[in-house]
Order: sequence, then structure tokens, then C-alpha cells
Amino acid sequence: MSYSGAVPTARSRAMVRETRHLLFTVAPGAFWIFIFLVLPSAYLMGVAFMTNGPYGLPQMPLSLDAFERLAGVGFLGWSPGNLYTLLRSLWQTLVSTVLVVIVAYPVAYYITTCREKWRPVLLLLVVVPSWTNQVIRAFGWMNLLAPETPLSSLAESIGLVAPNMGLYPSNFAVTLGLVYNFLPFMVLPLYAAFEKLDTAQVQAAQDLYASPVRAFWHAVFPQTLPGLLAGTVLVAIPAFGMYVIPELLGGGKGMMLGNLVANQFAGSSNWPLGAAGAILMLIATFIGLFAMRRIGKRLGGGEEVVI
Amino acid sequence: MKKRTLARGLAGIWWVTLVFLYAPLLVIVLFSFNSANSTAVFENFSLAWYRRLFGNEQIISAFGNSLVLAVSSSVVALVVGCLIGYGMYRHRHRKLGWLIVLIYLPIVLPDIVFGISEMAFFVQIHEWTGLLQPGLGTMIIAHVTFQIPFVALIVYSRFVGLDPTLFEAAKDLYASPVKRVVHFMVPTIKPALISAFFLSFTLSIDDFVISFFTAGPESATLPIYIWSAIKKGVTPEINAIATLMIGAVAMAAILSMLFNRQGRR
Repeated sequence: MSYSGAVPTARSRAMVRETRHLLFTVAPGAFWIFIFLVLPSAYLMGVAFMTNGPYGLPQMPLSLDAFERLAGVGFLGWSPGNLYTLLRSLWQTLVSTVLVVIVAYPVAYYITTCREKWRPVLLLLVVVPSWTNQVIRAFGWMNLLAPETPLSSLAESIGLVAPNMGLYPSNFAVTLGLVYNFLPFMVLPLYAAFEKLDTAQVQAAQDLYASPVRAFWHAVFPQTLPGLLAGTVLVAIPAFGMYVIPELLGGGKGMMLGNLVANQFAGSSNWPLGAAGAILMLIATFIGLFAMRRIGKRLGGGEEVVI
Repeated sequence: MKKRTLARGLAGIWWVTLVFLYAPLLVIVLFSFNSANSTAVFENFSLAWYRRLFGNEQIISAFGNSLVLAVSSSVVALVVGCLIGYGMYRHRHRKLGWLIVLIYLPIVLPDIVFGISEMAFFVQIHEWTGLLQPGLGTMIIAHVTFQIPFVALIVYSRFVGLDPTLFEAAKDLYASPVKRVVHFMVPTIKPALISAFFLSFTLSIDDFVISFFTAGPESATLPIYIWSAIKKGVTPEINAIATLMIGAVAMAAILSMLFNRQGRR
């Protein structure tokens, strides 16, 4: 530092100036996020512990009613509806993430086998559909899967669905929509991992007569693990809180946690119940992030994982 | 032999995936030209739905709202986010963990939680003070909140990529801090500023959930209009407006490809 030779007062004055600079640059944005996101989230968490008023708005006294309702305790005793919704959310997240991984691996690898000139174009082709609004994308699937469309007729003729039912609305349509929505988020990090792949290891495995499966498992898979973990975070966490896709493609029986929460603020108002659901969602999100970090640190050697 | 089957299999998967990715969009485009009001049977080619589109005042105003929202929120986010990005860089040796947490919060928070907490907060504040009535204003506030982190991170990483001695040189060259900002900083981070602005713009146009929960009765954006139209019952008019939006994305994709290619030359 150039202040080293100066008297202490000059130095402390410089420190004050630096601190003022820090405040001047960082404070507007930090305040913005604090006032318009941290405070609202804190307020929402408070709402979860209040009682439901006559118009669905929160009221004093404080209580745990909302959490009891969330657990399924209602006026008519316990019902499993909300529990099913939660389990369905977890199940849909798991299935769609696994499917996304299964599709994204060969796609990402295929792109790396192409000529370098073409790779950005191919990546762009994968990403471009996700630039369109998610409502429009879900609407596209509604059109494709509705009754009397070729796909639905095909499924009917094989006997997969009952006549005139169509493939939507259904849980299947929701899974499909989730896979469609999140595929690019897995392809991109996996592609980055494949591009850095040390092919010498694969060569060595093949020289030692490893079967393709074993070669993949021991030489390729560990190297792509950071990409896989980053992709899983990008896919699974937003998928768990998804609102648009289950709302449009799922119908009443395809509801996920996001719909349960949103409905409490839109239609059948019960803010405290919705807020309690939101807390559940946040807990799941942070457990997910934390778990991925731990796995990443253990398997990825402590670095490389972007999270 | 074995390698060839593998390569063929991979290419096959690639093409099937491409069909999967583009089929829903192509169906929308195709049926926007359908003369019949059906999404299952294509009758004749017609532009009737587009004609109806341009006569629909709600759609025109929704389009206007989308644009106003995207542009104004991006501008605010650019200014505020830039300042944070620079602050983070200049003071990167200090312990700024709290700031990182604050910046990542809007990114990791599920959209739906983000949307409803802002909505609940705005409604409550409005009840107490009369401020923050749901409408374009609250939507702009919400959008800026999720755009700031992206701008800050882009600008920050641009600064990190610069040679630190440049800052010393600028200090020697330009006496006043204002001149330093105008003649040195803004020109050097211009590419980051441009991409941050376009990313913010895209994020805003793309957003549905957060807009949906912070919107007022008069401030529907295009996605919100489409959403309510779908909920009321599907009409090919939606196909037409969606096709126009898909067209805009396709244009953006082509432009970005050309832009990239020129950048590399």
C-alpha cells in the first residue's frame, strides 16, 4: 500500500475512506435485497405462525394451526391429501431428475464428439427452447398431449390410457414437462465436464480390457461428477418448487407443493397455511443444497463443485 | 465396428432429443395458422388469428407492460448491480460473507416463495401506509430484486478478469474519480454491461411466477395474459401470440450466434 510511510492518522483516514467507498457501492443493492426480499421472507415466516382470518388474511393470536392444517388435520379429522402432495412433489422431483440425467449424459457427450466449430451451435440448439416463456412451453405440451392428438391416439391404441382421456392432464404429463423444462440445465454443466475430460484415463481403461460399462464407471463417471452435481442442484431444487407445469399439465391429481402453497394465496385463501407450506419448501431447498455441497466435497475432492 | 454403433446410437439420441425439444414449439407455430378453432385437427392455412391478435387491446397493453417492465427493471438493476459488482471487487480482501449470502438469496429462493412473500409483504404494507399498490411499480421492484445478483456477478467477474495494474494506471492518468469512471471503468467493462443488461431483460421477459404474484389488475404482462387465456379455455389466438414470442426468441438466438462468431474473429 502506498500509505505505509504516512502517519497513523492518514492511514486511518484512508480506512474510513475505503469503508465509505464500500458503503457507497454496496449499500444500495444490499438494502434493496434486504428490504424487498429478506424482510418479506421474514414476514412470510411470521405469517405461518398466525391464525387464519375470515378473508384468508393472517390474524393474531399466534398459533401452530397452519402447520397442523399442512400436516392434514382439518375440521373433519386427519386427511392424507397434503401428505400425498408432498410425497408426489418428492417423487416427481426424483423421477424427473433421474430421467434428465439419463438423457443429458449421451447428449452432452455427443456434443463433445462433434467438431469444435459446431459445438457452440449445438449447445445453443439445446438451450434456445428454454428461452421461450415456460407458460408457452407448457402450453405446447398441452397441445401435443391433449385427447385426439396423434400422440394420445397412439397411447390409446397401445392401451396405455383409457379411451378419450388423452395423455394430459396426468402425472405423466407433469414428469414430461419437468424433464423438458430442465434438460438444458443438466446438459450445460455435463458438457463442461466432458469437454475437460482426460481421455488418457479412458484409453488406459480400454487398454486394460475394461468393459465399456466399467470403463465408463471408473474412468468417465468420476470426472463428470462435478458437472453432474451442479446439474442436479440446478434441476432438482427448482423442480421441487415448480408451479406452472403441474398447474397446467397436472390437473387436480397432479398437484405439487408449489401449487398447494400458491393456491392459498390465490383461490382458496389461507395465507398462514400457504406460508407454512413455503417454510417446508425452504427447508427442503436448503437441505438439498447442503446435502449436495457435502456430497460434492466428499467426492469431488473439495473443489471444482460450483455450488 | 463397436465404435461405429456407439457413434450412431449417440447421433440417434441427439436427433430424438432435438425433436423432443422443438416439437411443442413447432406445434404452437403450426396451429397458429390453423383456420379451425382446434389444436388437434389442422384444416386450412389462415392468418385469421393474427388479425384478431392485433385488434385485441388487452394483448397490446400486455405487450406494452412486458416491455416497460423489462426495460425499466433492467436499467435500475444495471445501475445498482454494477455498484455492488464493483464494490465486491474493490473490497474483495475484506470479509464479505454476508454480502455473498445476500446476493445468492434471490437466486436460490424458489420462485414461488419469492413471489408470494413479496405479494404478502406488499399487500400488508399497502394496508398500513397506502404505498406499494400492486401494479407495474411492485412488479418492477420484484424484478429488480432478482436481477441485481446476476448483474453484480457478471460485472464482478469482468473486474476480476482485468489486470489490477490497470486501475493504478487509471489513477495516475485521470485525476478525478468521475473522469476515471467515465473514461476508464465504463469503457473497459462495457461488454459485461451489455451482457448484464440483456440477461436482465431476458430474465424479466421470461419470468411468469414472480410477475403473476406481484401484478395488479391493470398490469398483466404477456405471459400473465396467456396464462389466464389458457385457464379460461384454449383458443388458437394464444398460438398466434406465442408464435410471435417464439419468433422473437429465434431471432435473438440467431443474433447471438452471429454476434459470437464476429467476436471470435
